[in-house]
Amino acid sequence: MSDPGDTNALRGEVLPVAIFAAIALTMPLWFPWIGGYSGLDTKILIFVIFVLGFDLLLGFTGYLSFGHAAFFGTSAYTTGLTLLHFSAEIIPAMLMSVLVTFVLALLIGLLLTKRTGIYFAILTLAFASMLYRAALSIFSDWTGGDNGLTGLPTPVLFGQPLHDTPMFLLVAAFAILGFWIALRIARSPFGLMLRAIKSNQERLAYTGVDVSLYKLWGFIVSGLYGGVAGSLMVIYEPYVATHFLHWTMSGEVVIMAVIGGVGTLIGPMIGAGFMMYFENVASAWIGEQWLLVLGLLFVLIMMYMPGGFMEGGRRLRAWFRHRRGIADAPTPEENDTHG
Amino acid sequence: MSDRPDDPKNNRGKGFSRRDFLKTSAVTGAIAGAGPTVFTRNAWAEREAIGNYPVKGKAVTFGFNVPQTGAYADEGADELRAYKLAVKHLNNGGGMLETMAPNELTGQGVLGKKVEYVSGDTQTDPDAARTSARRMIERDKVIMWGGGSSSATAIAQQYLAQEMGVVYMCGLTHSNDTTGKDRRRYGFRHFFNAYMSGKALGPVLADAYGTDRRAYHLTADYTWGHTQYDSIKQFTEAEGWTTVNNIMTPLGSSDYSQFLTQVLNSDADVLVLNHYGQDMVNSLTQAVQFGMRDMQKNGKDMQIVVPLYSRLMAQGAGAENIDGVFGSTAWNWALEDEGSQAFTKTFEAEYGFPPSQAAQTCYVQTLLYADACERAGTFYPPEVIKALEDHRITGIGPGEAHYRKGDHQCFKDMLVVQGKGPAEKEGEYDLLKIYQQVPREDVTYPVDTFPGKLGPYRPA
Repeated sequence: MSDPGDTNALRGEVLPVAIFAAIALTMPLWFPWIGGYSGLDTKILIFVIFVLGFDLLLGFTGYLSFGHAAFFGTSAYTTGLTLLHFSAEIIPAMLMSVLVTFVLALLIGLLLTKRTGIYFAILTLAFASMLYRAALSIFSDWTGGDNGLTGLPTPVLFGQPLHDTPMFLLVAAFAILGFWIALRIARSPFGLMLRAIKSNQERLAYTGVDVSLYKLWGFIVSGLYGGVAGSLMVIYEPYVATHFLHWTMSGEVVIMAVIGGVGTLIGPMIGAGFMMYFENVASAWIGEQWLLVLGLLFVLIMMYMPGGFMEGGRRLRAWFRHRRGIADAPTPEENDTHG
Repeated sequence: MSDRPDDPKNNRGKGFSRRDFLKTSAVTGAIAGAGPTVFTRNAWAEREAIGNYPVKGKAVTFGFNVPQTGAYADEGADELRAYKLAVKHLNNGGGMLETMAPNELTGQGVLGKKVEYVSGDTQTDPDAARTSARRMIERDKVIMWGGGSSSATAIAQQYLAQEMGVVYMCGLTHSNDTTGKDRRRYGFRHFFNAYMSGKALGPVLADAYGTDRRAYHLTADYTWGHTQYDSIKQFTEAEGWTTVNNIMTPLGSSDYSQFLTQVLNSDADVLVLNHYGQDMVNSLTQAVQFGMRDMQKNGKDMQIVVPLYSRLMAQGAGAENIDGVFGSTAWNWALEDEGSQAFTKTFEAEYGFPPSQAAQTCYVQTLLYADACERAGTFYPPEVIKALEDHRITGIGPGEAHYRKGDHQCFKDMLVVQGKGPAEKEGEYDLLKIYQQVPREDVTYPVDTFPGKLGPYRPA
């Protein structure tokens, strides 16, 4: 930590990724101590991937998508159908899903990134709802309609069935890679363009930058994260639920990002962990009214801590150090609570 | 909640403790040449770990996954009451333990272990049901789980059961697919199905309403609705009826007026409601408000049929609306046989009102599973499944019952019922009149009626 140049690179990428990898990979060891269980850790990391992509769009480019389930769900169905009709090997299924997600993101992106703000949000919601309805009606012969897609084989990697630990490691690898790529994007010229779009895209356009191209690519990258997450979800749980395309799924990822702290990458990941934990563990203690409690919590966070958990963390640190002023750029330090 | 450090958490990093090793090496004498493989869970001996077998500690845990929210929440609440009662009887005796024959249950737990339970909410949604079931399997280490009140959730959970190697005793599920194309080795159904309802109802309807009727169907749009529509159509058309049309309605709808208007505008003189739970309460109530029970069509009185009936629904819809309406049901608390009476009495003593058919099926499924463990002498799932298959048993309802080996469908007597009007009923829960008790021989069908494969005794 002596040479400023080094520390910058270190603080920028290597250290956060290393810390995240350490937390993620040791999850099976400490997670049971706070009431978690094997299987849930895998699911949390899947949503971490999903929310990272969402945050690249909302936090960096400033585009609120209310239809991100479209990518998650479409990719899940693609993986499911490939496993069912082609092979139980996951590699072709994942490749197929990424391809389909790419095409879908390209199409939706071309149509929608011209719009901004509320129009964009509503249109993404409309697209996702269309896909959801289509899965339930015209495509129901393939998607299994309301039952979801059942009867999938156990997914295998090179002939080995994926259960507990190998499955967890596979997802963890993708999550760590996803986080690293997201950090790279955030610190790259491309990421800078995305942030510039968020702050003032007219001014950016005047400087001669092709704004719509950057927006489109930002949207596609974000969609691909959702696609990878959706594909992993079906490999972890060989069943495709109609819920994966439902607007509540899109809503869930919005909530995760917002309570974590939009635009910080780390915040949304904590948000994803928190939501999943709340949904599966805390709900057992609270009972039937857990959704109400979650809603209240969400309202309180929005009212008193609009920056989510990350703002809370910053405030705590500031309070501890007895100094005022918060740095603009979020310091990527983890403030994860260990049980 | 055993958090003992020597708990082999599904092969997560932790290997065998010395004691486990000694235990398994005791049975390695019986090795059938199954060498240990890296990825199957601790494959050491013939009795390798499957799902949550072997059971550790002094207690064994059952999981009860019922809809606590959604269109079938009433059913779910009653299922949970029945499950709690079943656990009580397994641990302390009483109820059907006194009427079941043959019976290996002691009333002191199962295989010497006290029965404990955990519960979850399926939200009447397949994805939520699987999430909740997974939690019970992975965190609470349940040796079996049961419940559910929707065929979509039951089918999704059956596949999970087969993957995880944990037996799932379906709750209330009436779709033909559950033991048809989606049958699974690790899933069992005690409840009857749409095909049986159709077979039993067809002749009764023709008898009561004539053979030249024109029927209009409204159908809940998921697996159960689809198969019930197919079956009722098949058996009423066999009697000479005509099916005018069918509209698929979304599960959990509250307003059926747009669909009912179309029924009114057609030339149909019978309305068939393939709805269940709150959906049936809403559609039937609205159909009555539309005047469908007091009108003439084609010179005949218009009639409404509810192929799958339950007392809870009848209560929700009200006696005036269900007066004389035909339907079928698996079981009714007014049945006189020993087993039904034993269950009804203990349930009433516990909760102050009689049980529903959903309660009865869940209660019986739990007992049958426990009995199979006693007969197999182990919780080892393949053995328990074999003990359940084709085992004939009486005293758990009218007549004899057994799970058919080929599809895990239980065959037993069922009922055709009619709603009782306000004038007829003798109390708050007396809503259904048993019109006919249909012997199981009359509704048994060949095992290959629906194509499907159960899958292996040992999960992949």
